[in-house]
Order: sequence, then C-alpha cells, then structure tokens
Amino acid sequence: MSSHAPPRARPVVTGLGVRSACGHGIDPLAAAVGLGTPAFDTVTRFDTGGRRTHRAALLPDPPQLADAVLDVIDEAWRQADPEDADTTPLLLALHSDLNTRAVADRVGEATSTRRGLGGVTRVYTGACVASGTAVADAAALVSAGHRSRVLVAAGHLVGPGVFAAFDAGRALARDGSLRPFSAGRTGTLLGDAAVAVVIEDEAAAERRGAPVLARIAGWGRSGDAHHVCRPAPDGRALALAAESALARAGVAPEEVGYVNAGGTGSPLADRAEAAALHRTFGRHTGRLPVSSSKSVHGHALEASALLELAVTISALSSGLLPVNAGWLGPDPDCGLDLVLEGPREAHPRYALSLNSAFGGANTALLVAAP
Amino acid sequence: MTTATAVRVLARGGWPEPGDTELPPLAGFTASSFSPLVAVAAERCLRTHLGPDRPVPPAPTRTALLLASSSGDRATARAIDTAAASGGRVPPLLFFQSNPNAVLGHLAARWQLTGPVVAVAPTTPAVPGELPVDALELAALLLADGDADQVLVISAEQTEDRRCPDRAVAALLARA
Repeated sequence: MSSHAPPRARPVVTGLGVRSACGHGIDPLAAAVGLGTPAFDTVTRFDTGGRRTHRAALLPDPPQLADAVLDVIDEAWRQADPEDADTTPLLLALHSDLNTRAVADRVGEATSTRRGLGGVTRVYTGACVASGTAVADAAALVSAGHRSRVLVAAGHLVGPGVFAAFDAGRALARDGSLRPFSAGRTGTLLGDAAVAVVIEDEAAAERRGAPVLARIAGWGRSGDAHHVCRPAPDGRALALAAESALARAGVAPEEVGYVNAGGTGSPLADRAEAAALHRTFGRHTGRLPVSSSKSVHGHALEASALLELAVTISALSSGLLPVNAGWLGPDPDCGLDLVLEGPREAHPRYALSLNSAFGGANTALLVAAP
Repeated sequence: MTTATAVRVLARGGWPEPGDTELPPLAGFTASSFSPLVAVAAERCLRTHLGPDRPVPPAPTRTALLLASSSGDRATARAIDTAAASGGRVPPLLFFQSNPNAVLGHLAARWQLTGPVVAVAPTTPAVPGELPVDALELAALLLADGDADQVLVISAEQTEDRRCPDRAVAALLARA
C-alpha cells in the first residue's frame, strides 16, 4: 500500500490551453463531448490507401507540432498570469520519434524568448500515460513544496508513421468508430491534440487572485507487471493507481461522482479498465457515471491524459458530463453506468481521470471542483 | 529541479562491460538494438541485486521503472517511417516496440516490478557511463512521493554509428 508524504501545499490548475479536432480552446471541446458529437473524419493529411482504417480526429489546418504546443502554452500562461516565469519548470509530453528532440528544442527556445521560461525541463515519452505522469509529477513537486508552479504541456499530431504502426498492430477501429466499453467495439481511432496546464500552489494562486479552475486532489501511478503491451485482465494495477489517488486525497470511493475513463475502444483494454473500476468502487460502480471522451476527440497518445484532464476540469465546472459516444449495446463484461446521452447534468465534487499504456503503465488523476 | 530526497544505490549494471562483444537478442523485439540494450543493462542490475542463484521471477516488489534516453529508439522510428512512406505494411512487431514503454513492460513482467512505468528524454545529455542528473532527481521524487519503494533507472543511448557503440547503464535505487 502506498505511504504518501504529508502535503505542504495543495496543487491547483490556474491556466488551461487546448487545441483539438473539436476546435481551438476548451469551449468547442466541451460542447462536443457534452453532446457526444464525434470529430472523426476521413484522413486526407496523408495516404491511408494501404490501411484497414481511414478515419481520425484531426485539426483542419494543422500547424507544426511545436507551434501547436506553443499556442496552448501561451493560452494557459495568459490565463494563469503569474508574476514570475524563469523558475517555472516546463514538463513536456511528446511521442518518441526522430523529431522529438527538434520539437522540444523549438518549444524550449520559443518559451524562453516569449515568456521568459527557463526552457523544457524534461520530455515525457511514455506513450498514453506520458502526460498523465507529467501531471502527477508536477502535482508532487508542488505538493511537496519543491516548486510553487509547474507548467505541463503535451502535443500529438497524427502522422503517417504512427497511423501505419497502429494499423499494423490491428489497434485501429475497423468500422471507423471508437466505441468504448460497447459491444462490437473493434479498436481505437487517433486524434490530434495540444494541451497545456499551469499547476501551482493554491496559496500562491490565492495571493495574486488567480482563477482556480480545479484542484489536483490526488494522483497515482502503477505498473501491471504483466506484458509488453497487453493490459492485465484483472485490472488490479490500474485499481491500485486509482486507490493511490483516492488515498492521497483522503477521498472515499463514494465521493467520486464521475470517471473519465481511458476507454480506448480496445476489446481487451476496456474490459480490464472496467474490472479496475469494479475493484476500486465496488457497489458504488453501479451508480458512478463513466465515459471515455476519446469516443469524441480520439486517442491523442502522449497528449491524451492532458486532453482528458482538460475535459474533466470542464465537466466539473459546467456540470455537464461527457458522453460515451459510439455506443451499440452493453458488453456484459464491462457493466458500467455509462453516460450515453447528453447533455447529462451532474455536479460531482470529485472526478477521476484514468489512463493506461504500453508496458502496463497506469496513471490516475483525481480532480476536485474549485 | 531539486527534490532533496537522498537515495542509495542497491545495485548497478550496464552495457558494454569488459568482455562484451555482441548485444544479446531479445525475443519479441526486432530491427533495432534499443530494447535489447535496455534489457541487458536492467537485467544485469537486477540480477546483481537478487543474487546469482535466486530464481526469476522473484516475489513482486513496488519497483518503478524509469527509462531515460535522449536518443530514443531511432532505428525502430526510422523503420516505421520508411515502411509508412512506401505505403507498405509496417511489420506488426514494430507497433509493439514503437514506444520505449514496451521493453519496460517486458522487464516488469519478467521481474515482477509493480511500480510506476516512466519513460523520459533528458534535455541535458548524461556523462557517458553515468545516469542523467534529471533522471536521478525524478527517481528521488518517485521515491518520496510514495508510489514506489525502489526505482530501477536505466539510461540508454542508441548511436546508429558503428564507430560509437550503443551504451546503457542501470541502477536500482532506494531511499537512503
């Protein structure tokens, strides 16, 4: 069982910048997930002729990846409006490929010039939990009093290489729809995203009257110790990450009122995640609204956890739960209270955002309404 | 970033070590030296800590895996890009190893390591044969934050240059 150090500060989110296939900013994304309107379309960015699937959720006029990341950093930084920048670490999540270093260098140079930040501190490349891990580490740094503020950013634009690799692994939905936890689901669909958040000490935010969008109440990370890429079917390790997040916050499972699931649409991974939710929430699972907003904005890989954190923060703020789109019918192996129609109004105090990745990596972020 | 948590080294391993010639292959991984490189350094470290006669897998431990690599798996990335550009099919094994987490999953399953699984690219290169300072700081943060009792840090750099061999170093860390 985890033994968490007593917190010296409470980490809160004071700035948020988002680009997704749903549009620029949080509002179009919130509207799309609130109504369950998927952003998938036929891919024309590159040739998909030799692939089994031809759909993804893409920005209409994609900028260079570094520019997309810089845009959302500017948006988040303007909203938080801190007085000093140079001591703020920048944790950046990117796909590991031949361009990773060049993108990180460009983001680092531009943020130094434009915002006086000290450059990129660290690049997280750990697949679908990369940005979730970065958020957990940022919260840990603030909570322990090591830093008063941390900037976390992530970006992923769908390219021909990743698309071809996911196609080769038969990970993409053959029918062109991402149907998390649904009967008849056939896989995931990729999506573009760039997201940035400013996470800082609540006391520092209050002192300068900064807007508090949400509080990062808890976080947890764990590993399946099961397989190179397949999830452990019993969901035990993902449940441990969720339980670590709850324990850190001192929050009981019954106090959680919404789960933004990782829900990739993978037959195996969704079943394992459902098992993890039953382990964590027990009888409360039957009354716990769950959805995977990937069914609307697609799977943004290294940026996915940060994109879904943005969706979760928005849901807590608006009182409108994201819809689990693409639903065909129940999978008896999942047994969740899915949000199937929108708008669905609810005002939970706490929401949990989960993600899992290759290597059996799991992250859980517990978000509290401000 | 300073996290001010003292750590101690329980064991070390690396590649190459004196007498090493050919990197041992790793079943299930192809077309690149990166995952075998990570695996051999990690396994040497874990075997040193476990002792030569104890069976694998050992009992599960809350050990985090932290892979730090500025290069990443360049050979796999290049093979995927080349296949995609030709319009042909990417070999399915390349999908599985397309992310540095994959070899960490292999190690976690074989050695029953149930802690966080983390992959990073340090922005400041490590001194050859040493662990990057940033990776040590992140390991200290993971230990202090409570999701792991130990951290296996692996630093691996793939050069794609015959004159300059791939190098990896691993260390198993715990709180001092």
